[in-house]
Amino acid sequence: MSQATLSLSRTRHSLAPWARIAGLTVCALLTLGPVIWTVSTSLRTPADSFDLPPRIIPTHPTTEAYHGVFDQIDVWLLALNSTLVTALIAVGQMITAGLAGYAFARLEFRFKKPLFGLVLATMMVPLQVTIVPVFLVLKSMGLTDTLLGLIVPAFPTAFGTFLMRQYFLGMPKDLGEAAMLDGAGPWRIFRSVYAPLAAPGLAIVGVLAFNYHWNEFFRPLILETSGQNYTLPLGLVSLQGNLGTGSISVVLAGVVLSMLPAVAVFVVGQRPLREGITSAGVNR
Amino acid sequence: MTDSHLSRRTLLRYGAYGAGAAALAGTAASWERLTGADIPGRDDGSLVVATLGSAFDQAAVRSLSEGFRKLHPGIRLRINAVQAVDWSDFFAKILTQIAAGTAPDLVYVATEGVQLFAQRLGVPLDRWVKRDGAELREYFADVHPSLVESMMYEGSLYQLPVEFNAADMYLNKQVLKRAGADFPAADWTRDDFTALLRDMKRSSGSHFTPYFWTNRLWGGVVPWLFANGTNLLAESKAPGGSWLWDTFYPAAQRRGRGGGFRWTTPQATDIRVAEAYDYLASLIQEDLCTRPEGGNGSNLVGVFSTGRVGVTPAGGFWAGGLHLAGMRPSGYDVQYFPRWRTQRHQFGAAGYALLRTSKKQDEAWEFIKYSARRDTLTQLFKGNQTTPARRSMLTGTRYQETGPAHWQVFYDTLDKFPDTGPIPAPPQVAEVEQVLLKHTGTALASPRAVRPALRRMQGDLEKAMERDV
Amino acid sequence: MTNTQTPAVRTRPAAPLAVARRPSARERGTRLLAALFLAPTIVGIVVFTVVPIAGSVVLSLFHWNVIDSPSFAGDANYREVFGDSTVLVSFRNTLVFMVFAVALQLLIALVLALAVNGRMPVWLRSVFRSAFFFPLVLSAASISVVMKYLFNQDFGVVNWLLGLIGIAPVPWLTSENSAMAAVILVYVWQQFGFSFLLFVGGLNNIPKEIHEAAALDGATGLRKHLTVTLPLLSPTLLVASVVGIINALQVFEQPYVLTNGGPGDSTRTAVMVIYEKAFEQLRFGEASAVGVLLFVLIMAVTALQFRLSRRFVHYQ
Repeated sequence: MSQATLSLSRTRHSLAPWARIAGLTVCALLTLGPVIWTVSTSLRTPADSFDLPPRIIPTHPTTEAYHGVFDQIDVWLLALNSTLVTALIAVGQMITAGLAGYAFARLEFRFKKPLFGLVLATMMVPLQVTIVPVFLVLKSMGLTDTLLGLIVPAFPTAFGTFLMRQYFLGMPKDLGEAAMLDGAGPWRIFRSVYAPLAAPGLAIVGVLAFNYHWNEFFRPLILETSGQNYTLPLGLVSLQGNLGTGSISVVLAGVVLSMLPAVAVFVVGQRPLREGITSAGVNR
Repeated sequence: MTDSHLSRRTLLRYGAYGAGAAALAGTAASWERLTGADIPGRDDGSLVVATLGSAFDQAAVRSLSEGFRKLHPGIRLRINAVQAVDWSDFFAKILTQIAAGTAPDLVYVATEGVQLFAQRLGVPLDRWVKRDGAELREYFADVHPSLVESMMYEGSLYQLPVEFNAADMYLNKQVLKRAGADFPAADWTRDDFTALLRDMKRSSGSHFTPYFWTNRLWGGVVPWLFANGTNLLAESKAPGGSWLWDTFYPAAQRRGRGGGFRWTTPQATDIRVAEAYDYLASLIQEDLCTRPEGGNGSNLVGVFSTGRVGVTPAGGFWAGGLHLAGMRPSGYDVQYFPRWRTQRHQFGAAGYALLRTSKKQDEAWEFIKYSARRDTLTQLFKGNQTTPARRSMLTGTRYQETGPAHWQVFYDTLDKFPDTGPIPAPPQVAEVEQVLLKHTGTALASPRAVRPALRRMQGDLEKAMERDV
Repeated sequence: MTNTQTPAVRTRPAAPLAVARRPSARERGTRLLAALFLAPTIVGIVVFTVVPIAGSVVLSLFHWNVIDSPSFAGDANYREVFGDSTVLVSFRNTLVFMVFAVALQLLIALVLALAVNGRMPVWLRSVFRSAFFFPLVLSAASISVVMKYLFNQDFGVVNWLLGLIGIAPVPWLTSENSAMAAVILVYVWQQFGFSFLLFVGGLNNIPKEIHEAAALDGATGLRKHLTVTLPLLSPTLLVASVVGIINALQVFEQPYVLTNGGPGDSTRTAVMVIYEKAFEQLRFGEASAVGVLLFVLIMAVTALQFRLSRRFVHYQ
């Protein structure tokens, strides 16, 4: 960090710090604006929802909309399902990505390049193209309309594997070489030298998995049939009401409720996320 | 330095172990949840009904299945409320199940899908309707023949309508008052309508648009086509259907009825279609009307109830929505769509379609009958989230809490204008709708864009209608 | 797990005796370990991606409406798709969307990352970082519903804000000229945080000596960033742009909710066409053909990027 400050203080042509901070503040407000509007509208009555200028601080805040959410949908069951699905996907991706990333970064084997290409290529396939065949595969395994049917197909992660590969590549090679000279086998080198250093990288895989799958809509819509298996994003749909006639405050209260866990995970995971992501863009 | 680094590493490691153990324990404890083994009555040969979840909340679904169980304790029933945002999401879900051979027995289908289901997937209900004629007499006496006819395809009946929504005009009374305008008469004309919009515009400030509409098949341009005595596709009626009309309806009501609608030759370049577009383009030009916005109209209730919009086309389903949005019954009211060359209205209806693949067709028929019972619908439609198909259910008490004052308009639309018809929805409906929405968007960009856009619409519609679904 | 340990342990006692064989035993151990490590990922990918893709490729050669059994179509679906102006327009839209969305996303992220990296209190920096990352934790579908209201021409907050600085209301979502811009803005708003974090990380990795040396050479401000920071950041830029492009080429939720592809076809993207053809029009064969073409396009663009990157990306 200090290098940046140091150099900036020496550069006469760069912006004055206050102007820079003011600019950043404006950008941050623009970024958070829609979120703030969402939260504040969920705390107002529908009749005040569309005021211009928008009243960011509700004059008569009411939690009525939140009661509405709990009345209309079984929030707890939906949240339990979402938590199970998202947490297990996150853990599963940390395992698959950690192992595969290490193999691609530090182990020598045949077909390494094409296999890595295969993994990356899966990022390029739109979900909408494969959903029907995926449904048929799950059916042959007896996993349709189960939460496992959502979880298991999400275990392999192209970006997570890529990230972990970069992460392991970023670790000094001599650590492993020293262990090898001590007679450690490939498993021991992984287990006692590299794996313990991988936590921040794994954390970012986990946080990204959580972010993505917590909000997932299309896969649960197609794969889950029983109401008992719905996840939060599916449940929230019924708040929109028949032909979009649901109360805007209730819809937004649902959105706010559903984003809380993702926010919590982000706040907790922010530091490892930052450390982990630092390595993603460097080295080969 | 090294120490703290090491201890942090150990900490992380134990943290990881802890997380792993917790995950394992959690997985084991929730195994039944993960495999769905804790859901009673799964894959036990229940009758499976797929409904649109956004239309029925969980309490409604529960009461629907409990009521059926009481009536038919011998039939196991499972209701899947599909939480789809719109019809195409819902359809994507059903199609995937059909592809995998796990289709439900019954599917809730709106007018948009009636003919597609009838042609490719459905079973005609004729034989059961004839068998249980005595029992159904009361139902048909309570349901307008226009609704029933919209559920017929090539002479056979495929669904019993349980709800419908005609495109009437909602007016914000506060905006009316501000404009010093009277509530329009039932036989108001297109010119009265234009004059009212001008009055509203004059008396209101910025951030206000007199007329708002959503670009969709229901309630978009099509009601204007109907009012101008035309349609997007040439409309005729299939022969047949007299088996039903003769049994259940008196002579006056069965006149002109047939075996369901046929929508065939596209007529987007018809002069009357062009007139309707020209009219809307002129309203937009005058700032009396919004440009067509795609989507499901989810903000519409909000902008109307807060007086940012004066008039908008909607059906009985809006009464519940406006009430939820905090609008008082006295704050708005509803009137027929204005007259142009005709005052023919447009509606959409819905009911349960029985799939050919079902192995429990007799049980499914029992559910269809149950779903159309008066007590079932009364329980289901408590919130006025739609208009019941049964005339006897529209009463002053029903609309006392939500409004509107002129609630009679909803059903009178069918009675007063017997030629009122369903939205044009041939089996190729998805592509027809897409072509309509697409070219409506460009046609109304400027007055000069109308004719070229309609020519392209005509070409695309012809292509769409040639195709076999 | 226990299996993996055996070969590794065995190599040790064997080592002093057979020095010449040692590498091969180690190699075998490495390969076995690699196989075990890769198994979950590769098996999962084969079962849940490769097999379904193969299914789609096969399907693209058939007429299939889900209801009836498929009938062989040869190249009919591809010919149909190439003659369909909606498909061609959707691919053009997708490319236009990709270019502007990715460029804007990278530019905003880069400028903000550089700005945040400047001198300021630690807590403030942390606030900014969180703010810029925040939209990523929201669901694209539900936030698009909010955005649809904010971008409304007559009652939306965006036009109200623009009105404050004297700009006339823009028909964001209802004009062919501006709908794509609105979709891009909403998408970039949600996505730039990811590139932003990558850049913040990348900037932290640049050794301070390099900056100091540049400063001593008289490089300042913008020039310093162009000549020193950017080349050092180029590996991060590559990652950010590859991921950004792959995601942008598959955009669906934002245009689906905001404009449903309209007005006209102006915001219809390739994935939207796939969805419409498959699930609305029951033409799974054609939908698969479009899917195959999109997949080929994404592969080609990514390959091109890596090719170009050899010239422009500098590794330390």
